Amino acid sequence: MVSTAEKTPIVLLEGVHKTYRQGEVEVKALRGLDLEVLPGEFLVLTGPSGSGKTTALNLIGALDEPTTGTVKVDGHELSTLSRAARSRLRRDRIGFVFQAYNLIPVLTAYENAEMVMRLQGTDEAKRRERVMSLLREVGLSGMEDRRPMQLSGGQQQRVAIARAIASDPAVTLADEPTANVDSVTASKLLDIMERLNREHGATFIFSTHDPRVMERARRVVHLVDGQVESIEVRA
Amino acid sequence: MARANARLATMAWRNLWRNRRRTLITQFGIVFGVFMAVLFTGIGDSTYGQMIDHAATLGGGHVVVQHHELQDLPTLKKTVLDAPAVEASARELPSVTATATRISGAAMVATAKNSQGTFFFAIDPTRETNDTFGILDAEWEGEMLKAPDQAKAIVLGRGLAENLEAKLGTKVVYTVTDKDGEIVSALARVVGIVTTGAPSLDASLCLLPIDVVREHLSYAPGEATLVAVFVGDHRESAAVAAALAARVPEGSVALTWAQAQPDLAGFIAMKEGGALIFEVIIMVLLAAGIFNTLFVSVMERMREFGIMAAVGFQPRQLFSLVMWESAWMALVGLVASVVVIAGPYYHLSTKGIDYSSMIGDGAEVAGVAMAPIMYVRLYPTSGLVIAAVVIVATMVSGLYPAWRAGRANPADAIRLG
Repeated sequence: MVSTAEKTPIVLLEGVHKTYRQGEVEVKALRGLDLEVLPGEFLVLTGPSGSGKTTALNLIGALDEPTTGTVKVDGHELSTLSRAARSRLRRDRIGFVFQAYNLIPVLTAYENAEMVMRLQGTDEAKRRERVMSLLREVGLSGMEDRRPMQLSGGQQQRVAIARAIASDPAVTLADEPTANVDSVTASKLLDIMERLNREHGATFIFSTHDPRVMERARRVVHLVDGQVESIEVRA
Repeated sequence: MARANARLATMAWRNLWRNRRRTLITQFGIVFGVFMAVLFTGIGDSTYGQMIDHAATLGGGHVVVQHHELQDLPTLKKTVLDAPAVEASARELPSVTATATRISGAAMVATAKNSQGTFFFAIDPTRETNDTFGILDAEWEGEMLKAPDQAKAIVLGRGLAENLEAKLGTKVVYTVTDKDGEIVSALARVVGIVTTGAPSLDASLCLLPIDVVREHLSYAPGEATLVAVFVGDHRESAAVAAALAARVPEGSVALTWAQAQPDLAGFIAMKEGGALIFEVIIMVLLAAGIFNTLFVSVMERMREFGIMAAVGFQPRQLFSLVMWESAWMALVGLVASVVVIAGPYYHLSTKGIDYSSMIGDGAEVAGVAMAPIMYVRLYPTSGLVIAAVVIVATMVSGLYPAWRAGRANPADAIRLG
């Protein structure tokens, strides 16, 4: 297990408010959220619908900007970054695992997994070594040339995990990653992510209601009405 | 970055075939548009080229060297003094395939029964071929002139012979104004009657031996009203005229066929303008179809573009991806067009379209008979222009969809995921 003591936070949210409009209605999604995530954490954001989990994940993922407050990821204050710089930050330092897998349908498993590294300009030999190793690690050896539609939901999510961590991001954000798979597959996926966390120190932040995910988390942050209601730390 | 772009081309190619039916329908539209463009441009290239060549062989060539005032003041007094030197100079140009010296002008022709004003060509029949004098290829009764100094011989157009009630062997007196302004007459017998298919030409044409006419007109040896210069491709006329301009004797000019025959040039320009408007309409409709395909395709994939933006694709890479799809669409469309159109094009370029039943006994433009078979033959440059227009139309059609793709919101990836 990676110790989280005395480390610089990889993610820092201070007094974050986020308000957006839904038609005529003004929605206050976050109301002064404070959160620190340290390198190597395996952390879950949970809470009822409308509690601000997805909004928080969007902000941490540099997909959106706070109305007020500070969001820092890997030392970069997001409000100071241009759109292109945020795009580069996502490419180089943040991994994403989505509920609906969201692989690029015209690319094979291998091509999907290597895409971010290719965007980074990593040379082919390094890409190949890294991606083949990861696909082996997530149990997809021999399926490199399959397109997403030729893979099961669980297999697609494994490719998505490989894609997310292939470029060795500072933090991987996983939005309900087990929502669309059966319990056996969910357990296997969590095994994979837990192993990547333990063995490689990969930082994971989940947004989920799934108790199976929360069981594995070492810190569970409960959000209610856009604020931290409680934090549960586990051994 | 080059590696990422290489993958964009691959992704774009695969994206093109995600909705195979839609792509094939769009391809059909491109093929149809290209076919129409080839048809209209090819007919123009072939027909107008034929007309220009035909007109050139009826008198002045593709480039005519003549006295600089002859165009505005047609008279037999306006001559080129040393036609052989002009011919020799013209033949030094690589594009020039043949030259011919001629005397042409107005004459009064009379028989015992009738008289008529007409237009004569005095030629050296020993030097003329079908390529320099198209009348040789026409329908003949009797025979062509045999020598430049053939005494008392004249050839009449069919319509002129009928007006004069002349037959082979009929005595004809022709009267011209010589170089000194004196009226001179000469007697000849009809040795041939020619039917060119252009009614106005047949009604006014007469041919005479050049040396005989030169003597009647008191011309010096080698003096003539024009030197006709022929080129392999009429599109080289302007360049040849420009090159000749520096070589012709003082007082002479080198005119292209378009300058010498503005009626014909105007007709062709008008027809080409009409065809161009039609082709532009086809291309706009084609571009609208391609735009629709690309736009719908992009709007259906906005979430996918959001995902791609979320994982690190730059907006310009998403823009490039859709532009690659546009490029593939154009290239596949052009290849499909070549494959589909090759057969019909071969048929139309070799067999042509026989529309003789539509034009009856003959039609003419500016005194030039139109051929009864219409061929579709593209100049290579016209083919390249059509291909370039298809590529540009397709790429322009892709600009807005590509811009929309580049603005995909990555937050949608998680919000909707």
